[in-house]
Amino acid sequence: MNELLLSKIRLGIIAELLSSDWIAFSALQRALETTNGNLGAHLSKLLDAGYVAEEKTFVDRRPQSRYRLTNAGRDAFSAHVRDLQELLGASGAKE
Amino acid sequence: MDASEAREHLELVERIIAQSAQRLHVGAEFFLVWGLFGATCDGLFTAAESGSISTGVTLVAYAVLLLAAVAFSVLRARYYRECGERMSLLQREYLNVLWLTIALATVATFTTFNIFSSVVARGSLWSFAEAIVLFYVGMHGNRRAQIGGIVILASLIAANFVPFPGAGWILAAGVLLGYAGFGAAELIARE
Repeated sequence: MNELLLSKIRLGIIAELLSSDWIAFSALQRALETTNGNLGAHLSKLLDAGYVAEEKTFVDRRPQSRYRLTNAGRDAFSAHVRDLQELLGASGAKE
Repeated sequence: MDASEAREHLELVERIIAQSAQRLHVGAEFFLVWGLFGATCDGLFTAAESGSISTGVTLVAYAVLLLAAVAFSVLRARYYRECGERMSLLQREYLNVLWLTIALATVATFTTFNIFSSVVARGSLWSFAEAIVLFYVGMHGNRRAQIGGIVILASLIAANFVPFPGAGWILAAGVLLGYAGFGAAELIARE
C-alpha cells in the first residue's frame, strides 16, 4: 500500500487532478474544502514524491500556482486503487 | 488500513471522478453566445426570405454577429487559458468538439450553398452541428446537454413537417432553447 496516498486529502488531490489538464491552488482548495496551510503541506509532499508538477503564473499581477498530475503520480494512483480493491476483495472473501 | 477505510477511500475517488466528468467547468457562455447567434441568424434569414426585411440588412447583420461571436470566443478562450482556475481533460474535449462543429458548419455554409440552398437547409446544418456537441457532452452524463440535444432534434423533426417560413422559426426556437438554453442553464448551475 502506498503510504503517501493513505491520506484522504492527498488521495483527493490526485483524484481531482486525474481528470484534469491542470487545476489552480484556489480551485483545489474549494473542491477539497480544506485550509490553505493544510492543502499546501499535502501538495508539497506530492511534489517531493514527483506525483504532481507545479507551474507558477501571474493572474492580474497576482501569483497563481497550477498543478498537474505526472505520469509517476498516475501510475502510483492506479497501483494504490488496485491495492485498495484487493484489500476489499480479500476482506470480502474472509467474510 | 482496514476494509471499511479502503471502501471509504474508493468511494471518495469515485465521487470526485464522477463529479469532475459531468461538470462543465468553463465554456457555458460559448454555448449561450453561439446559440443566440444561431437562433438570430435562423430568424434573420427566415424573415429576409419571407420579405419582412431586406437581404442586404440581413447579410450585414449576419457578418457583424459572426464577427462578434468569433471575437468573443477568441477573447474568452484566451482569458480561460491565462486566468482560469482549472481545465479538465474532458472539458478540453468538449471545447474541441464545439470548435470543430462550428468551423465545419461555417465552412459548409460558405462553400456548399448550392447543396444547402434554402434557408431551412442551412439552418438545419447548424442545428445538426449543435446537436452533435450537446449529445457529446450529454454522453458523459450531463442531463442538461441531453435535454438540449433532444430539443434541437425535435425542432429538426418538427421543421420537416411545417412549410416555410414556419420551419425557419421552429429551427430558430430549437437552437435558442436547446443550445443557448443549455449554456444559460450551465451558467446558472455554476453560480
